[in-house]
Amino acid sequence: MICPDSFRADLRSMDAKTSYEKNYTSTIGSVDGKTMKTLRKTDYRFLLPAVIVVAVMTQVPFLLTIIFSTLRWNLSRPDLSRSFDNVQNFWYFLKIDSLSEIPEFYSILWQTVLITGVTLILCSVVGFLLALLLDHDIPGVNIARTLMLGPFFVMSTASGVIWKTTIFNTTFGWYGVIMKAIGLTPTDLVSYHPLSVIIVLFTWQWMPFFILVLLAGLQGIPQDLVDSMKIDGVNWFQGVFTIKLPLIMNHMRVAVMLGLVFIIKEFGLILVTTAGGPGTRSYTLPYAVYMQVFSANNVGRASALAVMTVILTLLLVNLLYRSIVKRNEKYN
Amino acid sequence: MGEKTIGQVQRTIRRRHFLRRWGLGIIIYVIAILYFFPILYMFLSGFKTEQQAVMPTIFFKPTLDTYKMVLSDPTMYQYLRNSLVQVIGGTGISLLLGVPAAFALVFGKLKHDSSNGKYYLWFITTILLPPVAVLIPLFTWYQQLHLINTPFGLMAAYIGFHTPIVVWMVHSFFSDLPLEIFEAANLDGCSKKQQLFLIALPLARTGIISAALLVAVFIWNEFFLGFNLTGNPTATLPVYLARFREQQGMFVAQLSASSTIAILPAIILGWMTQKALVKGLTMGAVKG
Repeated sequence: MICPDSFRADLRSMDAKTSYEKNYTSTIGSVDGKTMKTLRKTDYRFLLPAVIVVAVMTQVPFLLTIIFSTLRWNLSRPDLSRSFDNVQNFWYFLKIDSLSEIPEFYSILWQTVLITGVTLILCSVVGFLLALLLDHDIPGVNIARTLMLGPFFVMSTASGVIWKTTIFNTTFGWYGVIMKAIGLTPTDLVSYHPLSVIIVLFTWQWMPFFILVLLAGLQGIPQDLVDSMKIDGVNWFQGVFTIKLPLIMNHMRVAVMLGLVFIIKEFGLILVTTAGGPGTRSYTLPYAVYMQVFSANNVGRASALAVMTVILTLLLVNLLYRSIVKRNEKYN
Repeated sequence: MGEKTIGQVQRTIRRRHFLRRWGLGIIIYVIAILYFFPILYMFLSGFKTEQQAVMPTIFFKPTLDTYKMVLSDPTMYQYLRNSLVQVIGGTGISLLLGVPAAFALVFGKLKHDSSNGKYYLWFITTILLPPVAVLIPLFTWYQQLHLINTPFGLMAAYIGFHTPIVVWMVHSFFSDLPLEIFEAANLDGCSKKQQLFLIALPLARTGIISAALLVAVFIWNEFFLGFNLTGNPTATLPVYLARFREQQGMFVAQLSASSTIAILPAIILGWMTQKALVKGLTMGAVKG
């Protein structure tokens, strides 16, 4: 049993597995239980340090966050003792007293979903079209691909600060200057359209990733298929939307999934561009958590918000994942 | 229209092809340059004086003064050094933990046959966890342990968050290695440790290096934990940039120069890893 059937058994077909088993159990089948135990121990020795560190730094704190979310715990009120508060922290955000006054939490939730959703849609639609464009064999197309990939690796605070000062600024930025040159009055986009600004910046930063992944998908389409498409006289529209797009749908879903996971937790860019403002118009859930801890000092409520952020992430990822599984089942 | 010879037809087709190629080429280049423009302009603005940088222009008399000034600023060095410490320490330890774990997940025999998959999935779900979900307990622990504002505290958090990414990427590179080599090694009495260091590591070298570079870029760019777990003396570059305006006011040239210095390493490393990035991040998922 120490033999190679242990290796990635799950990745190998069942036939191969059983034949290995037959071959080697006959030759080394006499291995006693003791040797097997030590072998297993060796394998866990490789795995456990990583598991322990990751658990201590991420999983345990997350469990604590869940516990904190049930406590009444306000750092600026040390006179009130920490006490169990049931689901009051969640209720504080979720409670709707009257329909005319929908609590702030729902608009923050909506903004989070809106920013993430619109960014992902823009990234996948425009990213797909740009990937199609970059799929052409043009001299030096690699330079263009490389240039377009650049923004993905820029730290979010740098891109936020740069866009805000050199582009969106109404007097000194490119936007202001160009608007004045064509005789229009530039409006302060960062204050008047904070969500659009954030969406544009997120899209700018994440589209390169979509292009990269989708381009890899497009280049994986076998050349003879493309040739037979041409011979059969398929027009551009049919070729792209009924043949190429379905073929790279899995790449698209992976890009959307990863984009979702990373965009939903983005914080720095919002802090440096709009700082959540005006008011709470461009708050997202992570930003609201930050404000609850460091401005309101309310650990209990902040933890409740953090837990709801995780729930939202898992919910959306789960929805996407299910659609992937369903599609795979349909095609197999 | 008169009869055309085959030569004429060929020529028109070739001309059309040529025009199409160059037309597309120009569109692609214009889009690429416009897309890259904010970064390019930031890079250029660093060569301006503060007076020149106020109005947006592309053509100007370049000067190295601003870059010199930013680079001779001791606080900039401090942030640069903090960032480098985090990147080198964080990436190094994440690799030390993640690579053997990925090896055990791909080639190891765990308690049950399904354990490998379960642990792998567990690492993946950790990637989904947003840092806000761990910030509060980490913050309270660090305050009790006096780890707040220390490079070690931040690095520990980075290791926790980036080891799963190493496992994820390296797992897909290890899965590519031919199983037969390890079977042979196993029969020849090669220990698991030797298999890892003498066979798996050299064979998956490029993949592991690109995973390392990608994690380095992630840590270099990480903001949320850095912002909340460090103070001024231990802050990293992204935090410095975020605080730039409140601390220094609006100096576009200086800001551009320091941002350029902050993002250049990440962009260059990123460009180097682009192929492996797609493969490592999407392979497992695309295969389904």
